[in-house]
Amino acid sequence: MELYLQLGYGMMSLSRALIREWGSGTVILSPRDLDGAQLESMSTSVNRLPSGRVMVDPQFYLPHADHAGLVSHDFWPKSYSTGSFFAGPALVKLVSDLRELNITLGTSVAILPGLLAQKVNSDWLATQDAILEEARAAGFGRPLCQTIALSAEACRVEAQVSILLEHVERAKADAYYLICEHPNGRYLVDDPSWVANVIDIAAGLRLSGGQVIVGYCNHQMLIAATAKANAIASGTWLNVRSFPPEKFQNQDDTKRKAVWYYSPASLSEYKLAFLDIARSVGVLNLLAPPLGAEPAAAALFAGGQPSAIDLSEPEAFRHYLTSLKRQVDDSVKDTFDATVSTHAALLDEAEAVLTAVRAQGIRGQLRDFWDALASNRAALAAITATRGAILRREWNRL
Amino acid sequence: MPDHNPLSWISSSFPELSNIQTLGVGGQKLVYSAEHASEGDVVLKIIHPSQDPEAVRREILAVQQIATIRVPRILAVGRVDTPIGSCIWIREQRIIGVTLRERLQRGPLSIDELFRFGAQVLEALADAEKANIVHRDVKPENIMVDTNGDHWLLDFGISRHLSMTPITPAAHAFGKFTPGYAPPEQFRNIQNEIDARADLFAYGVTFYESATGRHPFQYGAPNQLEVLRRVENDIVPQLSLPCSASSSLTDLVSALTQRRRDHRPSTVAAARLWFQDIVAAK
Repeated sequence: MELYLQLGYGMMSLSRALIREWGSGTVILSPRDLDGAQLESMSTSVNRLPSGRVMVDPQFYLPHADHAGLVSHDFWPKSYSTGSFFAGPALVKLVSDLRELNITLGTSVAILPGLLAQKVNSDWLATQDAILEEARAAGFGRPLCQTIALSAEACRVEAQVSILLEHVERAKADAYYLICEHPNGRYLVDDPSWVANVIDIAAGLRLSGGQVIVGYCNHQMLIAATAKANAIASGTWLNVRSFPPEKFQNQDDTKRKAVWYYSPASLSEYKLAFLDIARSVGVLNLLAPPLGAEPAAAALFAGGQPSAIDLSEPEAFRHYLTSLKRQVDDSVKDTFDATVSTHAALLDEAEAVLTAVRAQGIRGQLRDFWDALASNRAALAAITATRGAILRREWNRL
Repeated sequence: MPDHNPLSWISSSFPELSNIQTLGVGGQKLVYSAEHASEGDVVLKIIHPSQDPEAVRREILAVQQIATIRVPRILAVGRVDTPIGSCIWIREQRIIGVTLRERLQRGPLSIDELFRFGAQVLEALADAEKANIVHRDVKPENIMVDTNGDHWLLDFGISRHLSMTPITPAAHAFGKFTPGYAPPEQFRNIQNEIDARADLFAYGVTFYESATGRHPFQYGAPNQLEVLRRVENDIVPQLSLPCSASSSLTDLVSALTQRRRDHRPSTVAAARLWFQDIVAAK
């Protein structure tokens, strides 16, 4: 499994630096956050890097979206009518414009537009088919990646998941860009059905023969390794580490200026003030990053008061992504069982650390993984029971 | 058909048959064994249309479907003629042996028997799949073990050709099924979801039962509703067999008996290849 960089606000230079440092990498460009010129300059610079690859997410989840950044792009339709758009020239134009955009940007894979499904039903599936069919006819000259964007409720309902996967068996794309809205807007999901169904979808898509990129992820989706997902995509701000559909409406971005430190061992993030307390009560080292971590993050554990270190926001983002990259690189093993065991061990370690620091009052607040532990454990049990036998058999063919 | 002496009527109506013996009398059909002048041992089924027109229509359709399969393990079927009088008759090759159900009354299959059963019934189902036919009633009662120990899949009475209009009205809450062997999509009569994976489910249950002598859903169940509840909510226990392939077979049975059909192998051919890999590795 790879870590792709989900571009959001202010990620261009960081992404280039990380790809250079990693020796390879893929960015998913965001028309919401980049204008046409920025899309081109970013793709040019990334494509020039060794093994640098670019994809562009059309972000056509909500056709009525009115975010100024989105509607400024040439491909965004000037008008949208729910009834006729996908059966007439409007779809042809959208796909044609996106084809041109993908060619201009030199993308490795073409992400197709896809509506956010409040419910997986025949109308939505027909729309998916129409887009895929039109894209095939247009001839993108590169693999086609179908967007599967699902509301939190669609992810939760097993029957809808089953309908989706049955349909995909009959209408296959080369790859899938799986976007799942988190329930109740939570950053870390404590609903075991949601987590189990998301990795069930990823596994079903993989077993159908397609590549799977899970978009808008945070570290909770390390569990996608058990579905042999090809990549998870993550970024800096929370709105690229989870999928809030409302971000595509024309709202002002709310920037929270607190700096959060990601503790890979606890799968949780902490404000620096909590690290100060952790130091005071003698549990700070439990939250330390592993050897080889970003110097700025390692400095928090060098002996002084963490909040006095002045970890900058870009440094915190960089630490998050480099830590997540390491965890992603370590997530997939030679067998399904070993991969499940690896994720289970990650959860066990996180639980041990969280137990110790929480006993001292140290909390990651909304970024504390404690409530998500049970969800991921339940999802591991579910995928083992439902798809374990087939994944065990197919693992090395996926 | 005269009620007072059917054997005499059959002898006169089917002069090519001799040594006619009654095998069974059901609500909808009479079944006889006989010797055919050129085909040897045969089974003759006689259906009385006036008893249940829907059953007759189903039987005719089934025969027409099965007649498209010319493969080993599925019995050859005789001609379907216009009714003789008020009857329809079907002549099939007769297998001399016992049903798998009768065999299981003596205990679970040995490992060798199990592998033989597994391979041969999957072969039959794969052939049916190629012909686009779903058996829909795979169970020990419908599998014959002949005197050579070979297995034959019988009774396509509720089978369905996937390109044909379903026989069971979709409005029925329940389709035709045997509780404990039919997967949820079949007993809920979701017709557009019934495909070869329904047979894989029933095959997986039958495999487990043959390996252990115990039905994974029926054992200890007080009634059929409880069996259906278990099919929807329980998982088949792990197999523990005295052979090196035990865990591999457990995986296969686990995949075959998944409640959701998209969690099962996508085709019988894929399941058969899986089984063949297990056989090759044992």
